[in-house]
Amino acid sequence: MNFVESRNLQFEYTKYDDETDSRVSVKALKGVDINIRKGEFTAVLGRNGSGKSTFAKLINGLNIPTEGLLYVRGLDASVEKNIWDIRQNVGMVFQNPDNQIIATIVEEDIAFGPENLGMPPSEIVKNVDMALKAVSMEEFRNAAPAYLSGGQKQRIAIAGILAMKPECIILDEPTAMLDPQGRKEVMNTVTMLNKEEGITIILITHYMEEAALADRIIVMNDGKVAMEGAPREIFSRVEEMKSLHLDVPQITELSYVINKSIKKFPADILNIEEFTDAFKYYGFNKNFSYKKENSIAKFNKPILEVKKLTHIYGKETAFEKVAVKDIDLTVGEGDFIGLIGHTGSGKSTLIQHFNALVKGDEGNVLFKGKDIFEDKAGLKFIRQKIGLVFQYPEYQIFETTIYDEVAYGPKNCGLSAEEIDVRVREALAFVGIAEDMYKKSPFDLSGGQKRRVAIAGILAMKPEILVLDEPMAGLDPYGRDEILSNIKRMHDDLGITVILVSHSMEDIAAIADKILVMNKGSIAMYDTVDNVFKEPDRLTAMGLNAPQLTLLFKRLRDELGLDVPVNVYDIKEAAEILISALK
Amino acid sequence: MNITLGQYYPVDSVIHRLDARAKILATIIYIIAVFCAKGIIGYGLCIGFLALVILLCKVPFRLMLRSLRSIIVIIIFTVALNMLFIRTGTEVFTLGFIHITTGGILTAVRLCIRLIILITGSSILTLVTTPIALTEGIERLLRPFKKIGVPSHEIAMMMSIALRFIPTLIEELDKIKKAQMARGADFDTGGLVKKAKAMIPLLVPLFVSAFRRADELAMAMEARCYRGDINRTKMRELVYGRSDFYALGIVTLLTVCVILLRILL
Repeated sequence: MNFVESRNLQFEYTKYDDETDSRVSVKALKGVDINIRKGEFTAVLGRNGSGKSTFAKLINGLNIPTEGLLYVRGLDASVEKNIWDIRQNVGMVFQNPDNQIIATIVEEDIAFGPENLGMPPSEIVKNVDMALKAVSMEEFRNAAPAYLSGGQKQRIAIAGILAMKPECIILDEPTAMLDPQGRKEVMNTVTMLNKEEGITIILITHYMEEAALADRIIVMNDGKVAMEGAPREIFSRVEEMKSLHLDVPQITELSYVINKSIKKFPADILNIEEFTDAFKYYGFNKNFSYKKENSIAKFNKPILEVKKLTHIYGKETAFEKVAVKDIDLTVGEGDFIGLIGHTGSGKSTLIQHFNALVKGDEGNVLFKGKDIFEDKAGLKFIRQKIGLVFQYPEYQIFETTIYDEVAYGPKNCGLSAEEIDVRVREALAFVGIAEDMYKKSPFDLSGGQKRRVAIAGILAMKPEILVLDEPMAGLDPYGRDEILSNIKRMHDDLGITVILVSHSMEDIAAIADKILVMNKGSIAMYDTVDNVFKEPDRLTAMGLNAPQLTLLFKRLRDELGLDVPVNVYDIKEAAEILISALK
Repeated sequence: MNITLGQYYPVDSVIHRLDARAKILATIIYIIAVFCAKGIIGYGLCIGFLALVILLCKVPFRLMLRSLRSIIVIIIFTVALNMLFIRTGTEVFTLGFIHITTGGILTAVRLCIRLIILITGSSILTLVTTPIALTEGIERLLRPFKKIGVPSHEIAMMMSIALRFIPTLIEELDKIKKAQMARGADFDTGGLVKKAKAMIPLLVPLFVSAFRRADELAMAMEARCYRGDINRTKMRELVYGRSDFYALGIVTLLTVCVILLRILL
């Protein structure tokens, strides 16, 4: 028997509906048939609301099936008395590391599961040792989780499950809130546990590169299984995946596009190494040469200047920490700047200085040549002109209607009722929220919609500069694209200067003109996109990365001696260059 | 961000190493001794014992004074009341309706010393014990009362989760505050009503977030097989050591002496 087997599995829950003032039932799963073998690494893809998490919670016994059959380790998961046995053997890691750590010391948190199982103390100690070792966190045994990075916290959460000696671990978007370095740490741990310890892995993710590491992919859509198969097979069905509002790894899409013109070239390549091999195998024109000039830095009239800015947290206490140091920066009017850097590099601290939310210990910030703190009464004006969208902006929502939520900012600016009305309508139209939604509660919206409403709340203040801190974090590929295209239009159509903080190098490459790289509280690089991504090794050393296509082109150049530029970020362009090289 | 909860002072000392239960019990017994103390010898014993503990625990004395600062008003108030209203002994000072007597002064001094000893003594408990250890100690001490319906495990679990999440929520509040300030919110100016109204954009998101966190945490705990106190073990059970018995023995001896002195003298 398979480790997990489901037949016509259904799940229904009731929720309160504001408008009709009654309880309505929602079908989250509408008949799912899935088999997962023991020791297999399965990735589950699907847009938000497709039923992935519901399915995961059913396997773990956190939800009980409404209809259909579900067997886990041969036990019926709809029978109450089996649930403890199942939970003990099927661990679950959730998205937000902060909300699954129970204790204030790493070791005690890992011991929580074994303690619940009633293991004898000596065995608990043994299991905690083993789990810490498995996730390479031995030296943090007595640390406080609050001081660990996101990636480390997730590894602690995994260790907490491992200490219970499970046969299977389900991970529900474990890397959604992490930076590239943290994502790598977690994925390395997960693949190691699968390959070396033989633990069955079920990984729910929105990152296609992570899903490519799995043995098998299950794609869910609207409460049903839409596709199922090996990553190679699933990702080569590019059109179908896109129609389900999903994505495929850039490299796979590239090979798919090339395959359309050159039939012999494989359409299902998963990573850079395979692509290079395929290229070599297929044979290419050795004399091929393609030159592309590096883009030249544009110098726009300065709008925001940062001079010798230093900010120290907890000054003169034992916890003193220099967050940013000696920052000199000029942002030009109409610039589109991508801001990258690992967690803790000082990005978030820096951008909070831009609109006077915090004051540096040294140095100053100038908006259009004038110090932002020059007159205290002008702070509101500064915050209006320099809009800041925080990470997970939907967490600040508080009003009862969408309209009022967006009107909050303009109201604080002291505008007239007519002006507020115009601005709210404009901003909501811009982010694609229709008028019939205005009176609805913002809390009833989907994650992506909520975020667009929150962004509209800043947009309605008519900022000249818009700073966005990871506005795509935690969204599915479709939601990401929507936000990204919104931001692009704000820059192109409304002429807003944009500073975009993101962990996705592909997104930054596609949309920004310049990149600001922060590392350890200082500016490591500030240059055109081409010049920054030219040095992938330098970025890797800072816990960052270059876009997939850049890495591929660099490899083709270094390994095969193919004369191609590395400043290619667009799949179409990349395909055109490579197709002519293959002819 | 760093928020230290409680006032634990992390050094290694004989007192720090004691079992949390022993420390809690010793503090209670010591409080009894202080209440029973009478006469110079009785007070002398209590102060002497306190001085010994202060020396042994290696915590800077100024930290203990800090906790005294917060009750200084109460001390002054009690001293004043006693001096003004106790009319025993001989009169030393009269001004209009104010009569200060030797009896009043004596009682005031006694009370003042007693209060200072009490506060210093109990602040030592929190200075030498981590909040988590305290919680665990309370759980274990309350365990015998479970039979009469005291939910000792649940109380301890709630306390430790609160300790774990208070810093997280303070950080979250700071973030929400900044986010609303970025939307032009003003928390500092205006009258009371305006200020209270300005709190809504802070409190609604904070509560929404606290509930979401609680929901996710409950799920994570359930996924890790938590089901209350049923069949649960601990990785590190608190075990009384020899020094714990010594400590409890000494403090009990002190109390017995103080009580005997009170009866005999």
